[in-house]
Amino acid sequence: MAAESSGILMAAIFIPLLLSPAAYFIAKRRGVKSATWFTFGVLLLSTILIIIPIFSLSSENQVYLESYKWSQFGNFGLKLDGFSSPFAITIYILCTVLVFFSRSYMTKKIAGQFDNLRPKNNLSKYLEDNNSIHNTNKHDDKDNKTFHEDDHAVGSQSGQKQISQYRYDLEPSPTQSINTQMGLFFALFLVFSMGMVGTVLATNLIEFYVFFELSLVPAFLLVALFGYQTRKKVSLMFFFWTHVGAVLLLLGLLAMGLFAGGFDFDTIKENSSKIPSDWMVLIVFAVVVGIAVKLGAFGLHMWIPGTYAESPTPISAMIAGPMSGIGVYALLRIWIDLLSVSYSDYSIYVNIWGVVTMIYGGAMALMQDDIKKLLAYSSISHMGYIIFGFGSSSMLGITGSTMMWVSHALGETILFMMAGVIIIKTGTRSMSNLGGIARKMPYTATIAMIGALTMIGVPPTLGFMSEWILFNGALQTGAENMDSFRVVLFSLAILTTILTASYLLWMFKKVFLGPIFAEYKNLTDINKYIIISISFVAAISLLIGVYPDPLINPVIGYTESIFSDSPEIVSLPIPHQNTEIISDTQNTKVSINNES
Amino acid sequence: MVESTGFEGLAINAWLIWILPFVGGVLIPAIAKKTNQRITNYSAVGFALVSAIFAASLLITIPSGAEIHNQVSWISALNIKAGILADPLSIIMCNIVGWISFLIIVYSVGYMHGDRDIIRYWFWMLFFIGSMQLIVLSDNLLMVFFGWEGVGLASYALIGFWYSDRKKDYVGREGHYVLGIPMWASPTHAGIKAFLMTRAGDVMMLSGMFLIFMHAGTFGFKELLEDQTWANNMMQHNLLVPAAVLLFGGAIGKSAQFPLNEWLLEAMTGPTSVSALIHAATMVKAGVFLVARIGPLFFALAVFNVEQFFEVVAWVGAITAFLLATQAIVNPEIKKVLAYSTGSQIGYMMMALGIAGISTHFVDGYTAGFFHLMSHAMFKASLFMAAGGIIHVVASRFMNDMGGLRKKMNKTFIFMTLSALSLAGAPLITSGFWSKDAIFAALLESNSSSGIALFWIAVIVAIMTAFYTFRMVGMVFFGKKSTHIQQIENEIKLPADSSGTASNDPNNEYKSSENAEKTEKSSLTKEKEHVHEVSPVMWIPFATLAVATVIIGLAGFLFEDELHNIFGNYLETYFGIGLSDTGSSVVQNPHENNANTNEEMIGGINIMAVIASVTAFGIGSGLGIIFYITRTKDPEIISRFTFTRKIWQFLYDRWYLNALIYWGFVKIPLYTYNLIWKYFETYIAQGLNPAIQFTMSYLSKLVKFTQTGVTQTYLFAFVAGILVVLLLLFL
Repeated sequence: MAAESSGILMAAIFIPLLLSPAAYFIAKRRGVKSATWFTFGVLLLSTILIIIPIFSLSSENQVYLESYKWSQFGNFGLKLDGFSSPFAITIYILCTVLVFFSRSYMTKKIAGQFDNLRPKNNLSKYLEDNNSIHNTNKHDDKDNKTFHEDDHAVGSQSGQKQISQYRYDLEPSPTQSINTQMGLFFALFLVFSMGMVGTVLATNLIEFYVFFELSLVPAFLLVALFGYQTRKKVSLMFFFWTHVGAVLLLLGLLAMGLFAGGFDFDTIKENSSKIPSDWMVLIVFAVVVGIAVKLGAFGLHMWIPGTYAESPTPISAMIAGPMSGIGVYALLRIWIDLLSVSYSDYSIYVNIWGVVTMIYGGAMALMQDDIKKLLAYSSISHMGYIIFGFGSSSMLGITGSTMMWVSHALGETILFMMAGVIIIKTGTRSMSNLGGIARKMPYTATIAMIGALTMIGVPPTLGFMSEWILFNGALQTGAENMDSFRVVLFSLAILTTILTASYLLWMFKKVFLGPIFAEYKNLTDINKYIIISISFVAAISLLIGVYPDPLINPVIGYTESIFSDSPEIVSLPIPHQNTEIISDTQNTKVSINNES
Repeated sequence: MVESTGFEGLAINAWLIWILPFVGGVLIPAIAKKTNQRITNYSAVGFALVSAIFAASLLITIPSGAEIHNQVSWISALNIKAGILADPLSIIMCNIVGWISFLIIVYSVGYMHGDRDIIRYWFWMLFFIGSMQLIVLSDNLLMVFFGWEGVGLASYALIGFWYSDRKKDYVGREGHYVLGIPMWASPTHAGIKAFLMTRAGDVMMLSGMFLIFMHAGTFGFKELLEDQTWANNMMQHNLLVPAAVLLFGGAIGKSAQFPLNEWLLEAMTGPTSVSALIHAATMVKAGVFLVARIGPLFFALAVFNVEQFFEVVAWVGAITAFLLATQAIVNPEIKKVLAYSTGSQIGYMMMALGIAGISTHFVDGYTAGFFHLMSHAMFKASLFMAAGGIIHVVASRFMNDMGGLRKKMNKTFIFMTLSALSLAGAPLITSGFWSKDAIFAALLESNSSSGIALFWIAVIVAIMTAFYTFRMVGMVFFGKKSTHIQQIENEIKLPADSSGTASNDPNNEYKSSENAEKTEKSSLTKEKEHVHEVSPVMWIPFATLAVATVIIGLAGFLFEDELHNIFGNYLETYFGIGLSDTGSSVVQNPHENNANTNEEMIGGINIMAVIASVTAFGIGSGLGIIFYITRTKDPEIISRFTFTRKIWQFLYDRWYLNALIYWGFVKIPLYTYNLIWKYFETYIAQGLNPAIQFTMSYLSKLVKFTQTGVTQTYLFAFVAGILVVLLLLFL
């Protein structure tokens, strides 16, 4: 695994950061449409850059590493391996997909804030067609004039000439304001995306932490600037909670680094046995609890419902989908990979915590009327699945959990986009005000169903593939060690899948099925950009769900490489061909490792 | 033995049998967009037909007893391969599924004519068929599970097909509460109920699969049979029987066996063609097929004591058969009677498959169960399609609203009665008689302790079956025309308050609550001109099946013999269960020394079984004829005695099972969640967060206090800080 110096990953990470100011200025000068395409292009380029190194990976060489000299903390490295590649690729793909949705949603959302200030007919004129916004902006110098005339015309028609002109003088024009705000949005969006991918590619604890925080700041600003009514309170809560978690994590990371004599992942992995066991307890506690805040595990989930509900929906989707991956990845990398010596000692507690979170999140989701809150609790419940799998102490469980995150991210993104579409179209997110709109919005309904099925875990979606691998691992640990407690946990967990199915189907019924309200008679489906974006995510879920090899192989290979010589971790079921030499189990296992 | 290794010969046909319906389902929306309604319908029928023809093409391998086994790589990291396994069992099954589905699809062209969501309908129907064929043809449990969930999903979508929840699509009588739980359901509600209840079974099945996978490292049926060290392993841990029973849990859910039987009744909210598909060819048969698939596998491992597994299968079947037959007797809705009867008949099949494992002649029970599956598939599909036609014409699902239809709907009457005779088990001329007789014989000859008890349950159920079948036929086709019919014929709109419908059913008390529905029905019936025969595209499919049951019935004994031979060979070749020593590597059947008695059975009819089934038919049909056809006695008689009325109410309330399930798994959990939500989650979210905010602002005030703005203070603090750091560093 020699370090590469091609700089592909470096470019993939830093292009969005460097170009984020450009997004702002493009939006300001050239309009929202150009900025959207620009942001899309930047993220697409980064996504492609991050996928390219994957093709150089093979069964012999499982790691793609770029390493640069940094500071006394060690090297600044970017690494794609079995654990980080699913996360990095999923995060970038989802961010890219969310760009178009953000545009449609945010222009409406930002304009909605003008709603209170300006006469409605005036506003709706600008909203009719986003192109008009763009067109008027084509000629910078004429911009003001056009709007002035526009205002003038409307104002005089309704006999409010004076007032409208007065308003115009005090505030920037709506288009100008929308453009500026959208520019800010896209700039932050780019930094946010880049921070998340940086986190999962980092090879150094300090570097990891820097990216970890770097993704948090734009997220906080996005919630604070663009959220709904209680956005200030909610964004502070979001920042506060995740920050406290991050500080706890930092303490753990520092302790790890000091004991291991370096902050590079490789150094820590080699020296992890040097950490005294008294400290190990504290470190694992700090790391797991710190990350659990980010995941929203039971007891530390208080910031999730508010944040998910009050954020602008594209950002809810970002936080629930891609950003949740940071926490999952951190747990996987720092606890399971770097501290693998301690893994089996504490796994049972994580296992229990996972089950509790699963059930609790699912039960609370059933109590919601707000779609976004329901999805927030469903996200908590799903994080419970993942935590449960990570605590299963089996290779299949860990692999399944990692896959589960990918399916969670896909499903949650689809469902949040669905919620956004519904908000754009109907202006409500309360399920009791909705019903029967499947007939009016057939595409949205179909794709939302695929999203729900991904979350429930019904084949042929990815949800099922990850679910069975996860649960198989969990039961394996229980059955092979004759550990009835783990079997009970497994039973509770697998029964929770019924709960998951019930709240998602219930939501689907309340929103899309049943008799239709009269006010939705003229409802139409959303524009094709959004449909194509969501369908793309849904298609990924279906494709990997039927043929999971591209996802499962790197993850399972890496998991095996970590635990190949730790007997406490339950290994993969022995493939049939090798069972003839039953006494030779150890050999068989080794040969499998070599293959992968 | 022909073993195909690549994409060659018939293997590709076997793959296409299940792939084609999926492809068709995906293409249908595109076809509908480009062309008109008619071509869309034809292409749906075409996909089903081609799939069925491919299924038929596999039949040529049956005489040789060969199997086609073809694999491609799938999940390479876990060494799981995707594959198809077309052995005699799956070939016969996929033909049943393929051809009956094809007829139902043809019928749908007429039945669903003019529905605005016809594209969605075709998509899900083809998806349904594809998933079922996937279950039938898969060579491993994981792929079976793909199909398994596929049928679950399709059933959810099709049961809730009319998702606008109009009152006429509801099932159950409005206003009927049991223990405070409403006993009527909207289509969307019913869809969710079906999905969740079958999911409970699926979860068990998954657990069983995991147990097997972790010990065997494979899901493949062939691989599991080849090397049985895994079974040894599992037996040492006492996990083999639990794993088998958990797998059977999946079958309990899908085949609507006790205690997961309740979804089947609400499933009647779907279009009747869907009911026909669910009950005849797909879904509920999936469970039976699964048992038929894994049963021999576990039996072949009979050195390990797996009899408990078969005991469970047989008794679950028996309980279900009895439970649902009793409820069918009192139900007023034609589709629900048929639904109850399906559950009950599936119970028969489970009994037969279960008794196979505990008897000395595995093949007898096995053949009997599968034969009953075949004949049931045919007559039940036919009955449902006929019932759909009647509901279509009468615009009511209640049998009290029918009556005297035999003249107006002559063809429906003839063919429905033929199929009904098969369900009732009319001697000698119907396939239902022979298959039921085979089950009786298998139960009698099982030489096991539970055999006799199961036999008597089976006989009692047979009496009830005959009775409710004749009750249904009588109420629909005989007697006076109901007011509802007269009103349709006279095209007079019924005033909303007139509740005095002529009825021979003891459920009169519920009539008045039906007014709201009546109005809707009447407005609907205005479109219909009069009571008429259904169109040929609808009656030809069910007529075909009705005639087929009679043909098989006439040749019944030979047919059964042939089936017996096929399965005898099948079990012997592949599982080593059979008449002679095969010398294969498979563990030999310990009951083999008794195997010679099999020969006697094949040669002759079991007299006791025949007498029992003829008598049962006689008693049941006799009562049915007296009460509902000649109507010499009034069924109201039971409302005169408190005791019989109580029993009637108990049965009508579905043994309180549905209500208890709702209380246990819906009401109480929701109530608990609500308490947690109110007093824990909200309390913490609204209590803790402000508390933290308050603490924070208090802390910030404290910090603010230190910001004096006086340089000296800052300098002091700075120096103090440096001192502390220095102390820390050098101590």
